[in-house]
This record gives sequence, structure tokens and C-alpha cells, in this order.
Amino acid sequence: MKRVAVLVLGLLLIAGLATTASVAGKLLIWADDTRTPVMQIVAAQFTAAYGVEVEIQEVGFGDMRGQLATAGPAGEGPDILIGAHDWLGELIQNGLLEPIVLPGAMIDEFDPVAIDAFLWGAQLYGVPYATENVALIYNKALIPVLPSTFEGLLTIAKGLTDAEAGTYGLLIQQPDPYHTFALHSAGGGYIFGTNAQGVLDPCDIGLDNAGSIAGAVVLDQMVKEGIEVAGADYSLVTGLFYQGKLGAMIGGPWTLPDAVKAGINYGVAAIPTIGGGTPKVFVGVQGFMISAFSANKVLANLFVKDFLVTKEVMLDLYDRGGRPPAYIPALAELTGNADIQGFAASAANGLPMPKIPQMGSVWSAWSDALALIVNQQLDPATAMQNAADQIRTTLGCPTE
Amino acid sequence: MIPSDALRWVLKIVFLSLIAGLAVFAAISLAGLGSPVLAVLPLVGAGGLIYLFLSPRAYPLRWLAPGVLFLVVMVIYPIGYTFMASTTNVGTGHMLSKTQAVHQLLERTYSPPDAARYAFDAFEDPAGDLALVLTGPSGRFLYAGGEASRMLDPDERAADDDGDGRFDRVLATYRRLDFREVVQRLAVLQTLRIDLEGEPVGLRSLPDFTVLRPLYAYDGAAATMTDLEKGKVYADKEGIFTAEDGEEIFPGYRRSVGLGNYLRLFTSPAIVGPFFTVFGWTFVFAGLTVLLNFSLGLALAMLLNDPFLRLRHVYRVLAVLPYAVPAFVTILVWRGMLNLNFGVVNQILVALFGAGARVAWLESAMGARAALLLVNLWLGFPYMMIIALGALQSIDVSLYEAARVDGARWGQQFRRITLPLLLMPLAPLLIGSFAFNFNNFTLVWLLTEGRPPIIGAQTPAGATDVLITYTYRLAFEGARGNQLGLAASISVLIFLIIATISAINFRLTGTLEELSKNV
Repeated sequence: MKRVAVLVLGLLLIAGLATTASVAGKLLIWADDTRTPVMQIVAAQFTAAYGVEVEIQEVGFGDMRGQLATAGPAGEGPDILIGAHDWLGELIQNGLLEPIVLPGAMIDEFDPVAIDAFLWGAQLYGVPYATENVALIYNKALIPVLPSTFEGLLTIAKGLTDAEAGTYGLLIQQPDPYHTFALHSAGGGYIFGTNAQGVLDPCDIGLDNAGSIAGAVVLDQMVKEGIEVAGADYSLVTGLFYQGKLGAMIGGPWTLPDAVKAGINYGVAAIPTIGGGTPKVFVGVQGFMISAFSANKVLANLFVKDFLVTKEVMLDLYDRGGRPPAYIPALAELTGNADIQGFAASAANGLPMPKIPQMGSVWSAWSDALALIVNQQLDPATAMQNAADQIRTTLGCPTE
Repeated sequence: MIPSDALRWVLKIVFLSLIAGLAVFAAISLAGLGSPVLAVLPLVGAGGLIYLFLSPRAYPLRWLAPGVLFLVVMVIYPIGYTFMASTTNVGTGHMLSKTQAVHQLLERTYSPPDAARYAFDAFEDPAGDLALVLTGPSGRFLYAGGEASRMLDPDERAADDDGDGRFDRVLATYRRLDFREVVQRLAVLQTLRIDLEGEPVGLRSLPDFTVLRPLYAYDGAAATMTDLEKGKVYADKEGIFTAEDGEEIFPGYRRSVGLGNYLRLFTSPAIVGPFFTVFGWTFVFAGLTVLLNFSLGLALAMLLNDPFLRLRHVYRVLAVLPYAVPAFVTILVWRGMLNLNFGVVNQILVALFGAGARVAWLESAMGARAALLLVNLWLGFPYMMIIALGALQSIDVSLYEAARVDGARWGQQFRRITLPLLLMPLAPLLIGSFAFNFNNFTLVWLLTEGRPPIIGAQTPAGATDVLITYTYRLAFEGARGNQLGLAASISVLIFLIIATISAINFRLTGTLEELSKNV
């Protein structure tokens, strides 16, 4: 009897799966656990307005890309999904995304960096809703007034550093290109240049240009002066900061809840100019995308344009996720929030994280270069040169 | 209650008919999805199952069938699939089949810069047929029954009943839909392509219909894709339509590359570069790990097997503890303890011997390799100890008594009795341990990530990278996203290496059994 019950259950499951595919006239949205509750509210509003059913399916953020690649072409994918802009290259190259049409006036209501992040060539492939980036987070008890230059910050940091006592002035977790990019970019370092079509050119690699090397030299100097130390990884840097033993670090919004718990009086600010140049941090942008395999592209576009791009939904999403809104009217509501404003100030000089899949080969080589610099095993110029050449070799580009 | 034979028979029939029904349902669905080959499988499977349960001759097979089925599904099919994948270029940008990719490209449209836009009103008759009135710069059109025609002013086919300037009915029976009703029919409206004065017009986004010309034309004979907007021709190049100037059209598609992935493994400078360093270290790592772990495990086992040792049961439990903690937790704890400036190991060394005694555990090549072996020793010796303890207890004590009577010393007893009798049952396990550590991704990735980097290597590679971590970097962190085809070819190679080791394992086991007959 048990077997029969199992079989019946199996049949029901198959029937259930068949109904969660993108069906003409009904919207299916993939969202992760933090965004599902907000989406359910919006979905109910849409259904009330138009009598069109909207189903929200909870899919893990990390699984979404992979599942879309198999479910989309099989006709079982969603109409709309919520993801990160740096998926764009992979998803577009796999033929999974549909361009989105937004009126120009609506585009102007978004943070330009966020819109730029979802542009592929001239076409928009997503509607941004939140940005995420690092900034300088400092302990106001140790650094009451933030200097206007990075050099000034280093002088203060050196004064605060006492390895015997276990106190440090400024730490950047290593080897970690994401947190170190600001040093390279201040002098004009970049990862990929842009080609004539406005798309990143994977063979134009700027990790060994003068600016990138200058940034690596700054890191090397920090190590030589004992400010930066080998072995300072994420848990160590944040741990020291929460104990009040670290003056400043480069970190993201995810480090703040524990700083609040630890009772640290912190400030969030843009990283000061390095050698007169403005540091650019990576900006990650989250947003709504439409599947190329959707049977409801026009409907999905209407849903995104009229129901998601509102101040209320954007603020609701902010309340759930805590990430700064990319929608300016929503961001303007948060002027009283110093943390958000600090990260926004840092993002204002930011660059969208490169969104071509070739980025995968950059992290490894670049991290290796940083490790060699921090361990003092190779001079900064050679380390960056090697990393750039390794990337060129992996990507099949001509090496210089 | 034991069911009677009749009830049992009825249950069996119900069960089998459900299976048959399910198989037919699955076959029809699969055939509907366009995979007739796959559709045959459930039918064959169900047929086989019914034969198994109804034929008395197949009775013994009922017990074998599930095992064979799982062997096929879990082992043989994945190996076959991996090999198939290894002969293709599947990966980021090459996920779809060529048919799917071409189909998707042919659906793409473009609007010329000066394209006309048409505001629309939608109408529906009681049968559910849709009609449209499209108003554009060149006039007003009525679309119904699959055809569009220019409207006169006034046009007898349309009626404005309330005089608000918009038509309320067309063709007598079609009533105008309000916006809410239009939204509900958008899925149908987006599929319409209306021929208006020789130009295809469709709905791409609200509120207007626009001219939507097909962007691509596919020439099946020449296998080229032509961009009709730019007039550019793209030909197949490694599974992606590429123009002469190198511009590519995404998505690309899967295609066979024969043994190309294997050739790349051995010829591409991006892969061969540090390959042999990594390959060598993999063998050294796996071999030394087995040697060290077994030596320590055996030594402890002999100590704890000594009946004169007090509290030996307590020690046994303590020695097994590292084995009981999840490995990834242990590895991360060790990683913290081995930290150059903040780790407790170096703090102890500095306190004992001064600042010069600090060891760059994770930063220098030799330090990292030593650290890897050390942590693996911590993780692995309890297992060796447990199996050695078991094997030791199975050795007949009278052998040692006889040896003592013959005047054999401890060392001779160990070499002549303990070691051969231990190695006989343990050799397969040691070889298994070698094979496991050959592929020990977790340990290397969590402890060192393959670092420190090999200076000047052509592709990112580290002093502690083993084959599997190196290939992970190549296949998933290299080039254009995920190179699943390449990864599959490396998996096949690793499978062959492990299969060879297993074959040696079987051969050795056989040999040792032969030996034991003479003892």
C-alpha cells in the first residue's frame, strides 16, 4: 500500500512541477528568501489590479543562475528573476535574458552607476533596485577626524599600529582584490577596458598599467611600514575592529551589524584620495531581469515598470535586505541614515563590477599577485605584470 | 495482517498498471518536448519491470534488478555522460543546442530608427477572437481574422456608440476591451505579427505596436547567420556565430570538438605550464599522507593494543576524536592556528624560541606543504589507528608465543609477523586512502586554496595545488566562465588514473591472498 501512496505522491509532484513553468497569461517570479515576502505583497497588488495571477517561487540566490540555464530552455523557467548584475555576461551569452524597455524619464530616476551595471552595449537587461559596495569604515574613538587624503590616513594608522599590543591603524583584508581595487583604481588602474560596442574587452587588461602598479606599491609600502600584515583575512580584520583594536578598515555593509552589537562608534565614508586620485570601488547591483524564455515578456515588462519601480516597493526591499536603494526617490528618504549615505558616497565614485564571465579568471591571478606582495616575496611591479600576463594567457590574448 | 494471495495479486496488478500508466505519461510528455529517444526509455523500463514481476523465470532477477538499475543510473550513466560532455565545448556561452540557439536568434527583431509606432485598441468577439484598431502616422488600420486593412473615415465596420471619439465595437460583434482585459491578453498580443503595408508590426512593450523586422536570417546550407540590420554575415566559429572582424552573436551553442579538449590538456600553454609541478606534488602529497598517517596510526594502535597499558580505552576514545569532528571545521580551525602573525602556533614558537622562530606556514611553499601534510595527519591518523587496531586484534596471539619460544626479538616479531599480517587486510584500504587523497579537494581548498603562488607561472597555480584544485581553477575560474567540456575531460583523466589504481588494488589484494595461504 505504501508503494501506491508513494506513486500517487510522485504523480502529484510531476503535476505540480508542470504547473510552475512559465505559462502564458500568468507570471512566475524567482526570488530568494529575503525578497520573497516583498514580492508576495506586490504580486497581490498586481493580481488585484489586472486579475492576472502572479506566483512567487523561492529559489536560493546561489542556485538561480544554474537553474535558469536548465529550466529556461526546457520551458520551465520563470518570467522574472531577481539577481545580481554581474550574472549578466554569463546569462546573456547563454541566451537566457530578454532586454527590458523602460521610459527614459524612469531611467533618470536611478543611480547612473546602477543603470550602467545593467547595460550590455546599448540595451538594458535589468531594473536595478539595490547597490552594494565597500567604503572606509573607521572607529571614531581612534580616528576622531578623518583626514582628507589616504597619505594622511596612513600617518595616523602608523601611529596607531603597535603589533606588540595587538592594535592596528588600517587593515585591508588580504589577499583580496575586491577590497584592494580602490588602491589600484585611484591612479587609473582598471580590469577590462571598453570596446567600440560599449562592451568590456576581455583582452584589454589594465592590471599592469601605471595606476595599478602604483596601487600595488602603496600596498607594498603599507606592509614595509608594518601597517598592513600578512595573514589579515576577513575574520581577523573584522574581529580586531569589533574589539576596538583597529582604527579603520575597508569593508561592506555586511560588517556593520556586528559593529553595532560590539558597541563601536564607527563612521562610514568614501576612501580618501590616494596620490591625488579618487579611489573607485566595485559596485555590485541587484535587480530584476526578464527571462528570454518567458511567454509573457510584455506582461513581465509591465509588472516591472509599473509595480516594482515605486518608492514604496523600493523602500520595502530596503527594509528587508538593508542594501542601499538604487532608486533615487527611495534613497532620498534615507538622508538621515549616515551608514547608507557613507556607502552611497563611496559608490558615487564606483565602477560596476565587471560583468563578463572572463572575470572568473581575473580573481585567481590577481589574488596570487596580492599574496606575493603582502608576503614580500615579489616586488609589486613584477607581481602585477605576472598577474596580467597570466590572465592574458588563460583568456588566449596576446601577451606583451 | 498478512494479505491473502488474491489481495497480493490485486495489489501487484494495481502497482504495475500505475507504473505502466506513469511510463506512458512520461513517454508522451517527453515525445512532446521533442526527445523521441528519451521517450522510449520509460516504456522499456516499465516493460522490463512488468516482465520481472509477472514471469516466474525472472524471479531471481527481482533481487538483482534494483542494484543493477542503480549501478547504471548512478555510476555507468554519469561516466558515459561525462565522456560525452568531454567531447563537446559545453560551458558558458555554449549551453544551448544549435537548433535552440538558431531558433532564439531568428525570433529576435529590431525596429529601424524611424520606425512607425501604432497606438492600439483591442476588441474581442464572444468567441474569444481578437481584433485590433491600430492608429499610426500613415492612418488607421483594422486587424481581424489574421489580416489588416486600412480603415476609411468614417468606416462602417467600426462604431463609436457613446461618441467619445474611440470605437466601442468593430465588425458588429467585437467589443472594446478595457486596459485590465488587455493586460490579461498580453501573452497572446505579444505573439502577433501583423503585416501593415509590407512591414511586420508587433507589440514589444506597452503602450504601442511598432515595426519589428526580423534581425537575423539563417542560411541552413552555408550555416551562416546574417544580421539584416547591419548586413553583416556571421559564420560558425567554435560553436558561436562570428563575423570576419571577430564580432560574435550570443548565445553560442554546443558542438562536438572530438578529442579537442584532451589535446588542449596536453598542448595548450595555458594548461601545460605548471601541469607537471602540480601532477608531481599530487603524487607526493597522496603518497606521503598515506605513509605518515599509517605510521602514526599503527604506532598508536600497537601502543593502545598493549594489555599492560592502563586507561587504554580512554586513550582510544581521545585518539579517535579528531576523526569525529567534521573535517571542514577542523581545517578552518587549523588555518586560523597557522596564521603567520596571529596564529597560536607561531605565537607559541615565538614565545619559546624568539621572533626568529616564526614559520611562514601558509605563505612559503615548503611551509604550506608541511602544513598540508600536518593537518591531513591530524585528520587521518585516527582512521588508520582504528583499522590497524582491528587488524592487530585478529592476529593470533599464539604466533607471538611461538616466536618468543624461538627467541625472536621485538623488532623481528614486528617485521616477520605483525607487518605482513597487517598489510594483507590493510593494503586495499591504504590504496583506497591514496586514491581519496589524490582527489582531496576539500583539504587543499579550505587550508591553502593551492597557495602560495608559483612565481612566474603561466597560469595561476600554487605550490600546494593538487590536480583536482588546479583543474577547478582552470575549468571554473579560467577563461570565459565555466568550461564544462574541459572539466569533463579532466574528470575522465582522473577517473582513468583512479581506475588504474583500483585495478592495481585488486591485483595486489589477489596477490596478498595468495601469499597468506602460505603463511
